[in-house]
Amino acid sequence: MNTRRGFLKGAGLALFGLGIGGVPTFIANAAASFKNTSLYKKNKILICIFQRGAMDGLMAVTPFTDQFLKAARPTIFMEAGNGKPLIDLDGRFGLHPAMKSFEHLFKSKQMAIVHGIGSPNNSRSHFDAQDYMESGTPFNKGTNSGWLNRAVGLLGHDATPFCAVSLTNSLPRSFYGDNPAVAINNLQDFKIQTKGNATNSNTVSKSFEDLYDQTSNNLLKDTGKESFDAMKMLQSADTKNYKPSNGAVYPASGLGNSLKQLAQLIKMDVGLEVGFAEHGGWDTHFNQGTEMGTFARNAKDLSDSITAFWTDLGQLQDDVVIMSMTEFGRTVKQNGTNGTDHGRGSCNFIIGNNVNGGIVHGIVKPLSIENLEDKRDLAVTTDFRAVFSEVAQQHLLIKDNSILFPDWTGAKIGVMKS
Amino acid sequence: MNNTPRLMMKITSVIFIAFAMSSYLIDPPIKNGKYKFPYKDAKLTNRQAAAHLLSRFTYGAKPGQVDEVVKMGLENWVIQQLNASLSDDSLTERLKKYDAINFTNKQVNQYFPQRPKLIRMAIDEGFIDKDSVGISGKKEYKDKLEEYMKQKGFRPESELFRQFINQKIIRSIYTNNQLQEVMTDFWFNHFNVSITKNQCALYIPAYERDVIRPNVFGSFQNILLATAKSPAMLLYLDNFSSSGSNQAFDGIINKRLVQQQTKKGKQSQGLNENYAREIMELHTMGVDGGYTQSDVTQAARVLTGWTIYPFTDYGAAAGMKKLLEKFPEEKLAERGFVHEGDFLFTINRHDDDEKIVLGKKFTEGGGYNEGVELLSMLAHHQSTAKFISKKLAVRFVNDNPPQSLIDKMAKTFLEKDGDIKEVLLTMVAAPEFWSIDALREKTKAPFELAISSIRSLDATVELPFQLNNWITKMGQKLYFYQAPTGYPDKAQYWINTGSLLNRMNFGLALASQRIPGIKFDLAALNNHHEPESANDALRTYSKLLMPERNVESTIQRLTPLLTAPDIGKKVNAAADQSSNNNTNDNFIQMNNEEGMMEATNNNALKEKINRKNKPQSKDIVYTASFGNNSMLSQVVGIIIGSPEYQRR
Repeated sequence: MNTRRGFLKGAGLALFGLGIGGVPTFIANAAASFKNTSLYKKNKILICIFQRGAMDGLMAVTPFTDQFLKAARPTIFMEAGNGKPLIDLDGRFGLHPAMKSFEHLFKSKQMAIVHGIGSPNNSRSHFDAQDYMESGTPFNKGTNSGWLNRAVGLLGHDATPFCAVSLTNSLPRSFYGDNPAVAINNLQDFKIQTKGNATNSNTVSKSFEDLYDQTSNNLLKDTGKESFDAMKMLQSADTKNYKPSNGAVYPASGLGNSLKQLAQLIKMDVGLEVGFAEHGGWDTHFNQGTEMGTFARNAKDLSDSITAFWTDLGQLQDDVVIMSMTEFGRTVKQNGTNGTDHGRGSCNFIIGNNVNGGIVHGIVKPLSIENLEDKRDLAVTTDFRAVFSEVAQQHLLIKDNSILFPDWTGAKIGVMKS
Repeated sequence: MNNTPRLMMKITSVIFIAFAMSSYLIDPPIKNGKYKFPYKDAKLTNRQAAAHLLSRFTYGAKPGQVDEVVKMGLENWVIQQLNASLSDDSLTERLKKYDAINFTNKQVNQYFPQRPKLIRMAIDEGFIDKDSVGISGKKEYKDKLEEYMKQKGFRPESELFRQFINQKIIRSIYTNNQLQEVMTDFWFNHFNVSITKNQCALYIPAYERDVIRPNVFGSFQNILLATAKSPAMLLYLDNFSSSGSNQAFDGIINKRLVQQQTKKGKQSQGLNENYAREIMELHTMGVDGGYTQSDVTQAARVLTGWTIYPFTDYGAAAGMKKLLEKFPEEKLAERGFVHEGDFLFTINRHDDDEKIVLGKKFTEGGGYNEGVELLSMLAHHQSTAKFISKKLAVRFVNDNPPQSLIDKMAKTFLEKDGDIKEVLLTMVAAPEFWSIDALREKTKAPFELAISSIRSLDATVELPFQLNNWITKMGQKLYFYQAPTGYPDKAQYWINTGSLLNRMNFGLALASQRIPGIKFDLAALNNHHEPESANDALRTYSKLLMPERNVESTIQRLTPLLTAPDIGKKVNAAADQSSNNNTNDNFIQMNNEEGMMEATNNNALKEKINRKNKPQSKDIVYTASFGNNSMLSQVVGIIIGSPEYQRR
């Protein structure tokens, strides 16, 4: 694959064609700066989706044979089988009907589910729990880096400008830290924006490029060069008129849009290794609904977006693992407003050709009161770090777990094929 | 004649007292005399030194300001800034339209209920049906909720933050007491709290206004104690909920308080170490400051019972509030409670046993005072002196300040009871501050870039939130930094591929007046002197925007572009073609994207914005030899986006 070089050449020609006279020096510079060896090595890619607000894992993947749950949720419990809404996964757990697009991924063993996952810190504050999950240090607020940023530092090679990309308008906590990471709201913004036409843009662009190329400050100089390289790569790919492959249809939602842009970056081969997107609206205190309603809408958006992304990747699927995460789960018992309040354990989804798929991993005991955490919540039986570190180790080939999750020494749970 | 001196003295002392009352209850104003800044030794001219000083102690030099500082004397100027008593009438005028920035925490709580609370209130009062909540597309429900808010005089939370952020931008641009604002930013970031944490978000405006700003130049102990007792910090780092048992305290108050506190408090029981850990790691001693896990736990026990006086008569806090109000204040005080403003020390939740922190014994029964003692001890610790001095040096000198400088500052810190003014003076009187390793060595944060360009251009900002949108885009979402560490103060954090292009685009958008609600006059900047050539314009404006910098290389790189045949014509043609089409879309798009834009419903203002962005022939001074304004503004945009302008 020499797509990257191809794109750059294309970009150079395009600029030349518009003609501000002579071959711009930066084209020559850019062409000369290729480090061939690293360029063609295919790296693995991890895409993380944070479901903010705390997803009710017991509604997404319901232990539908559990009579305690049924009793605790008189108006929001669903059953499986024979015309009943839930999609039976294994005789014990049923997938929410709005997540129908996940059914195929699970049955073809490309998707694993971990149930009862959560943090050892029992804070039920969204902020604290997200903070702990993203920093990866559940008992230390002062950790200045996020676990995904540390992951970038442990990849074992220099990061390209697009090594870690978050499709958000500011860096998420997971990306805080010393290693390169960018937040981009929209790939189309990644260019020099001037009044006027392309000729003018190119003139201005070249001015900036020259200035940054000549500056005595190395950080500004190097980052400037990277920025212009990156910009040219993106421009040549026509991000505006992107057509997904294999008939994939992304929902017209924030998450759909984020994943579509991550797919573009992956296909452009610009060196993406860690991608991040967010999905909000899971804090269902009121009228959570069943087959329809707040939860169902969110669940459909999540599963349809991920499935479209996966379909769109086609042959590139082997390089990619997608993992969802949420800060905690919700109360076993429904509340007085047909919703659920903040709880403990939830579930997450991991998609990839190297996952130990078709299985609901983890431990979910019968939801009788003595089995609940604080007598009210699905107990956290799997520390999120067990799963995150296993995925990072097996897929991104990160060896040093003591840096990735400093306080974590627990075992893998076998969510990835080894 | 005889009377004059006496009268003068009287007036002076009256002024002095008024002045002391207003901002310096604790610290008398500093006088000049003993300080001489050693910039001549570093072979800097007066103007070069003034430009350097302005790049550190303000949000950027305004046109003509370098000369002003030289004229006044650099030392005098610094003293004046440290005393922070310059009048700010035009700022006050500009801030008038933001009423909510003056609200007390109680008022904020009353008028800006957060959404979950709002919905519950509306349900409780029978305004909306609980079965209709969250059902999408129910216009009826939305309308009812809006109607409810209107009737109650409630306002959306986003409005509070919009005003607050606008306030920061306006203040940083226009205040004459620039250093006070720079230091407010510094200490806020040091004692960071974040809007991303809902529980503390509402109290952040008052935190900056009442806790940070009045204490920026005082003794370190004061600002530390003030933050420790503030609702924003108590909620952000969870100390409000940290409790221990107090065997000695019993009786009726205790029984009923405990009942009240445990009724709702599933999470409110027990020790929470978060704040104690961060106070040592981030606020005072630094991570390698020499404390142990045991010190953290023991310090947390010292600080149990430090919480917030309930604000509201609604919800979980209401019962507590009612109960507290039943007991006369004197009676509570007698029993060891402390109620100061929003702060409450609840002795019944205070761990009353003996503790040992950093080798110091806190004997049992220490109550509220042992917490104050602990903070005082931390504030005066050697590690704290070094940690704070280094952080200040990083902010004002360079990303890796020399140890010799840190040592000098730390020495002053310890000798002068943590007096921040004295520490800053030691810094600026040190040769290290003026050395070649300091000049232009700091990289502007996005906020600094935005504010400094506005100041360079002497621009008028009517819609500060538009600037905020750009600052966010460039990588700094104001007041939303999630971690208690605050933003890292180093170039590497701010400069990355995504953010750098946005900096260039910001320069271009600003200079071509494509950012709504910001206006300036490029010709007036140069006293309406028309540049004689493209080259001349480039040279003139580079020097205006970057006073006392070596701009030769910038000029050299840009000159060929400006002199290329027909390039000016092409640019102008292109710009004219598109400018009319773009502005409107641009405005609406930003409006939708950010959702927090001002004047969404104000058509008149919108109209004004659109008009302003269209070419206004009478305002434009054509510089004939240099093409028209489009070309000039493009050059200015490139200067603002240039690497040299990113540095300070």
